[in-house]
Amino acid sequence: MSKLAEHIRELPSCRNPAYRPAVTIDDEERAELAKKLGDADNYDLIQLREMVRTDPDNIEFRKAMVSGIASAEYAGIDSFSRKVCEWQDWDVPWTLVMAMARQTWDEVRHAQLATGVLESYGGKIGEYPDTLAGSPPPALREGVEQAAQAVGTGAQQSAGPPTGLLNDPVTSLSMVNVSLEGSALTLFKETSKLGAKIGDELLERCFDYNWADEVTHTAIGDYFVKLLCEDNPAAERKALLAHAMFEYGRGRLDQDQSEELKEFFAEEQQRAQAALGGGAAHNH
Amino acid sequence: MTTVVRIDLGPCINCSLCRLACPTECIHYFSTGQRTHVVDPSGCIGCDICVRVCPVDCIDEDPDYLIDPEQLEQAKGKARVFAKRRHDVKVARRERAVVAAGAVAHA
Repeated sequence: MSKLAEHIRELPSCRNPAYRPAVTIDDEERAELAKKLGDADNYDLIQLREMVRTDPDNIEFRKAMVSGIASAEYAGIDSFSRKVCEWQDWDVPWTLVMAMARQTWDEVRHAQLATGVLESYGGKIGEYPDTLAGSPPPALREGVEQAAQAVGTGAQQSAGPPTGLLNDPVTSLSMVNVSLEGSALTLFKETSKLGAKIGDELLERCFDYNWADEVTHTAIGDYFVKLLCEDNPAAERKALLAHAMFEYGRGRLDQDQSEELKEFFAEEQQRAQAALGGGAAHNH
Repeated sequence: MTTVVRIDLGPCINCSLCRLACPTECIHYFSTGQRTHVVDPSGCIGCDICVRVCPVDCIDEDPDYLIDPEQLEQAKGKARVFAKRRHDVKVARRERAVVAAGAVAHA
């Protein structure tokens, strides 16, 4: 690993004002959130969209909704810029590293857009807690990688040596570019439509712009996953597993877990059991 | 007349929006064993929801497929269940939003 990549890896994510993840807020701040949003649990991007639709005159609802999106954009800058440094040491096409650089630039513009919309409401970054808060600090990062390895046991048995979520381009691209950015398409489309509905032209246009960029991010991810999985069915399976893990974790589009996803995980479990000698995958 | 759809895999970017929006869950991805979104025409009711959500316009009508009326009725039944589930989620969110707006207004 190059000195730069090593240095970046050890650096915790930071922003000014500092990240304040929503999952870490205390009771006092939850009570403050509840005063503004009716219930602290309403601090959820889909729910907030519905609240803005219901009461467009409530500026706090709009500020909270755009704050949540802005958090994700700042986290995106952090995430993709780390990849530009770290992936230079990996066995990946240089065009992929360039694509990550381009995406970093896109995320910067998205953060500017979201910040601008927020400021148009009289809000500012850091006023609401962060829905996403950069890369985990080094100590937690190891834990995330171990967890990813444990969840992905079935696919990794057939795809060669175990690799963690953050150390494998196929898994990362499939989970972040294709699946996460794919789901962002819905977020931006719906937010833009909401802007049109309530007569908020800035909201409408800014998130329509974001939407167009997300299409290219998803396409970039899909292109490189295809390239890296060429003639490698095991790697392709790993990409599918990463995509399924994301959908399972996020419950995309409010749907119940689809029948197909259930079948996929059942099949994965069978593969894991077979690879571990039958029955060993049971955890009593 | 109902016409089923098919996906042009060339421009498809696997964003999954069509699959997740399909009311009959007839667009397959994980079960194909490959990273490709494929429409099972026997489950398609020709509602065109997938066509509308596709960001790269790679879904089109498949005029060559002949629909079995019995299969179509079954698929429509599945779509009604899906629509009811979606509607219930939407209503729940809306009711919660109304409660929130009311609570904040009276605070």
